[in-house]
Amino acid sequence: MKEDLEKSTPSKISSFQVFLIHVCCGLALAVGFWVAHNVYSINLISHPTSTLRLIWAIEFPVVILLFSCFRQKPEKCSYLKAIARGLLGLPVGALLNALGALALGAPAGLQYFERTVSWSLLMSSLTFVPTACVYGSCWTDWHRIFACTKPKGSLDFMLCLPAHGAVIGAWFGAWPMPLDWERPWQDWPICVSYGAMAGYVAGMVGSLGLALMHTGGGKQLKAE
Amino acid sequence: MWGWWRLGKWTVLVMFLHIIAVLIFTKGFLLTRTELPHSSHCSDLSQSPCHSSSYCWTKPVVDRLIIIVLDALRFDFVAPSSFFEQKQPWMDRLKVLHRMTLVNPSSAKIFKAIADPPTTSLQRLKGLTTGALPTFIDVGNSFGAPAIVEDNFIKQLIQNGKRVVVMGDDTWTQLFPNNFNKSYPYPSFNVKDLNTVDNGCIEHLLPSLHQQDWDVLIAHFLGMDHAGHIYGVDSTPMIEKLEQYNAVLEKVIEEIQNQSGPGKLHENSLLLVMGDHGQTLNGDHGGGSPEEVETSIFAMSFKNLPTLPSEFVSSSCEPSKNICISSIHQLDFAVTVSSLLGVPFPFGSIGRVNPELYALAVGTWKLDDNKTWNNQDELKLEEWLQNYVNVICINSWQVKRYVDVYSASSVIGFSSEDLFHISDLYAKAKENQLNLSFDKNESSNTSLPVLKRQIVAYFEFLSYVAELARSKWTEFDLKLMVTGIGIMLFSIYCHILAIRKLNKSYVVSLPLSRDSGISFGLMLASFTVLMRASSLLSNSYILKEGKVANFLLATTCIVTLRFSFMMNKLLLEAIIFLLLIFICRIAIEIGLYKQAATSQFMSASSSWVLGISLSESMWIYIVEIVSILALIILGYFLYNAISSYCRGIAKCAMMGTILSYLLIALYWISESNILDLPHFLKGMGKTYIPRTIYSIGLGQILLMTFVPLFSKEEASSYKGSLYVKMISILSTCSSTIIILQGKQGAFVALGFLLAGYCMMKLQGIEQHSVGGAAKITILDPLPILQWSLLAVCLFFATGHWCAFDGLRYGAAFIGFDEFVLVPQAILLTIDTFGFSHIFSVFGLPLFVQMEHNSLLSINLFWIFMVYGLITATTATATIVCVAIQRRHLMVWGLFAPKFVFDVVGLILTDLLIFVASIYYF
Repeated sequence: MKEDLEKSTPSKISSFQVFLIHVCCGLALAVGFWVAHNVYSINLISHPTSTLRLIWAIEFPVVILLFSCFRQKPEKCSYLKAIARGLLGLPVGALLNALGALALGAPAGLQYFERTVSWSLLMSSLTFVPTACVYGSCWTDWHRIFACTKPKGSLDFMLCLPAHGAVIGAWFGAWPMPLDWERPWQDWPICVSYGAMAGYVAGMVGSLGLALMHTGGGKQLKAE
Repeated sequence: MWGWWRLGKWTVLVMFLHIIAVLIFTKGFLLTRTELPHSSHCSDLSQSPCHSSSYCWTKPVVDRLIIIVLDALRFDFVAPSSFFEQKQPWMDRLKVLHRMTLVNPSSAKIFKAIADPPTTSLQRLKGLTTGALPTFIDVGNSFGAPAIVEDNFIKQLIQNGKRVVVMGDDTWTQLFPNNFNKSYPYPSFNVKDLNTVDNGCIEHLLPSLHQQDWDVLIAHFLGMDHAGHIYGVDSTPMIEKLEQYNAVLEKVIEEIQNQSGPGKLHENSLLLVMGDHGQTLNGDHGGGSPEEVETSIFAMSFKNLPTLPSEFVSSSCEPSKNICISSIHQLDFAVTVSSLLGVPFPFGSIGRVNPELYALAVGTWKLDDNKTWNNQDELKLEEWLQNYVNVICINSWQVKRYVDVYSASSVIGFSSEDLFHISDLYAKAKENQLNLSFDKNESSNTSLPVLKRQIVAYFEFLSYVAELARSKWTEFDLKLMVTGIGIMLFSIYCHILAIRKLNKSYVVSLPLSRDSGISFGLMLASFTVLMRASSLLSNSYILKEGKVANFLLATTCIVTLRFSFMMNKLLLEAIIFLLLIFICRIAIEIGLYKQAATSQFMSASSSWVLGISLSESMWIYIVEIVSILALIILGYFLYNAISSYCRGIAKCAMMGTILSYLLIALYWISESNILDLPHFLKGMGKTYIPRTIYSIGLGQILLMTFVPLFSKEEASSYKGSLYVKMISILSTCSSTIIILQGKQGAFVALGFLLAGYCMMKLQGIEQHSVGGAAKITILDPLPILQWSLLAVCLFFATGHWCAFDGLRYGAAFIGFDEFVLVPQAILLTIDTFGFSHIFSVFGLPLFVQMEHNSLLSINLFWIFMVYGLITATTATATIVCVAIQRRHLMVWGLFAPKFVFDVVGLILTDLLIFVASIYYF
């Protein structure tokens, strides 16, 4: 029984670690906002590009450094290599996110180019980079997590849920955009970013809950 | 036939339910203001509390009135460019009007006239002459042009022995048949003809000025409206028109001035140059945007006159020059003109006599011929005010009488609270009037402020009534509306029931299948439909409906792409599909940009501007060549299809389509400037090629309808024969649709084809995972939803939108120069609903999965029903939202047109499904 469990969960991760990582990622977002507000006195509404870039600049290193610790097959893959994978994954994920957003109707004009780039970098750090760090270019794992949505174990949940949360949050965040309230936050990509971050946080909470349940279930199994 | 009825009865049932629901709801929603048959008479005045005189109602103050109507006269055509931020090429062209106002500011004046939407010519003429408010449904009558039955000032003129001459637009003679002493009507509906009406007007206008046989002359110039429709405002034909009018007006004014001496013909004449409505920069009108409702009245009398005290002047002056512009509601026109001519005010008028326009008439001032008057002359002013108070008193009494009679005779009148308030205001004003008559006898020195107060009291009453009427005459019958919605919901229930029945019989006929209940596709489809339905509640989403539909379509497509990743197959198709959606999205934004240029509710935000000016000739060439290329590709596909699958009748029909494509290419070439064709050849091509294409299409349809009745064709497989049928009918429709849609048509058809292919391949992809390699057994609504969303997207991508100015009237004139109602209405319908309804409904058999005959027909009907259900759900959502938002600011500008488009689309879809199910069965 125990062996089975170990096999199915590719790399063991305790619920405390999950908790720690999620708190760190969440804190990084919060710190990003805090720095933007109090150090540079800008915010997402007044300076969307620079604020997004700032948040990304704080979030991205945290994500890449933390998730690289949980890389698959650590014996074959050094910590630095995992970081390099994450760095490589960043532009790819950004491109995919940007393309998706454009297909869904994000403004394609040149004056929005910088905003779109900053937004997609942040989105990539929230969705793509963690998996890139952990699984590298292993197609089957990617396939399992993002195409089939069949995560196994806490680590998969930790990768899968926040990423999906961010995307779905961004999708819902786009809905207020066409409204004629003429608020500055309706501009691309402000409300979408808010939605994405809210979804991300919700995903993290979900993942944490599942991790707790999972370990709880595991313990029960062990007890049996 | 029996076999068809077994399944097809549902389509018939649903169609009837829809029609009934829509009729009932429309009756409650688009209520007409009840038109009263009463009219005013001279003798009525004895009932009024006002000071009566020996005249009919008011003292006639103008002997002759010359009304020159310039159709679609924008406010900025008349107002000096210094009133606007930027000087545009079309401004300051009617210089003679500026000169007159500058030279003689007290006797010539420019008014900004504000019309009530809908701003179509016929509606405006009705409003101008009756002084009443139009209601939404009248727009539909605009084509039929029925005679006005309500009391109007033309009728009053005739009744009171005034002689009226009319020239120009023949709408006047349609509205007031047999009313005019003389008329010179010219046909108004041929939009491409800029000159016939105007030349006719000019021909008769100047000679008529010398004649004595009329009291009121109306000349209606139409060229500007037509120039706007065809070329837009910023175009040389428009500027030429404006300059032509300037010359004409100069001549007219000179002529009248020459005759304005004492004892001469125009001693006491008033000239009015006015627009009936404005137009947008594209030349559209009909809606309620400022550009459309703001037009202008220029009024001029030919004597020097005193000016009014500032309390009654609503003018705004530009800082540098001396031109001031007043404003007036078009509602006030009928009653003001009636008071000037001394005829009874139209019974149903709710306007007020505009003091500034009234003061421009010479007769309102008691002027001594040779004495120069003094502006500060209190006595003169007082006399004038005395007279005006009497006029406005009669005016108020007439409005009050109308309100009373209306609320007594109409089922849904004003609320008792409002009526009480009206009576209260009126009683107060009347009380003052009584005091006034005392004052008048005793001392005349104190009465100036009293008179002013009196006038203000009447103004208060009149403006309150006008405001109230504006808000109330868009009244709704809630009971009927709720009934309509109820029937609509019931029809949806029937729809779902029918689909479940079909589902059941489908499952029963398949021995190996299991009814898995709710599949993911069903969930996603219902979610998407619900999202779209609830989005219709907000005006913003209606405005950007194309983008919303595209967003949802892209979402479903991304989900499909994910599935195709999951299954590791059909990746290419999914990616092509997404790419097509991306292209479609850009086309929608271009369409939105066009819409924003005309819409009152949108600002033209150009997020997509690419920095390419399309006017460059190279781009025009590229567009022309590429569109012909797209056509050739289409033809090639069709040829391939013919040579491999079809024989007999279908082959014959499709050869016709290929011939049509060749003709379309020829037409485009002849239209463009690639080849310098001789002029007469071009003319021939312009009319005869489209007509040939229409007749080929008609012939193909007849062929396909009747030949199968006589000869049964043997087909290798049922599905194969279904596809052949589908290709032949689609190709038949395509040629007509493409030529009507213009150069984009070929691309859109190609895109539609490609997207259809991708969807067909991708359908049921998520069930591969469920059923493994086994045959697809569960009917999947997702591709049908995508198909219907794609149809919606294409409606917007082809440059349409849900507003009456979104109709491409130009399409109705392809192949026709004259206006003939029936064929042009059909062409306009085909252009508007071609891709989004006709094409998509007939393309539905793409999603048939079954090979077996009996299952195939069940499957086919299931698809039709699901498609119908999606359309019906959206339409129901529109209806519910319109009912909820009936007091919304934009209900007439946005919700009502959307409602009309959706409802017409729904009925059309039902009808097409009915026809298609018979055709395919």
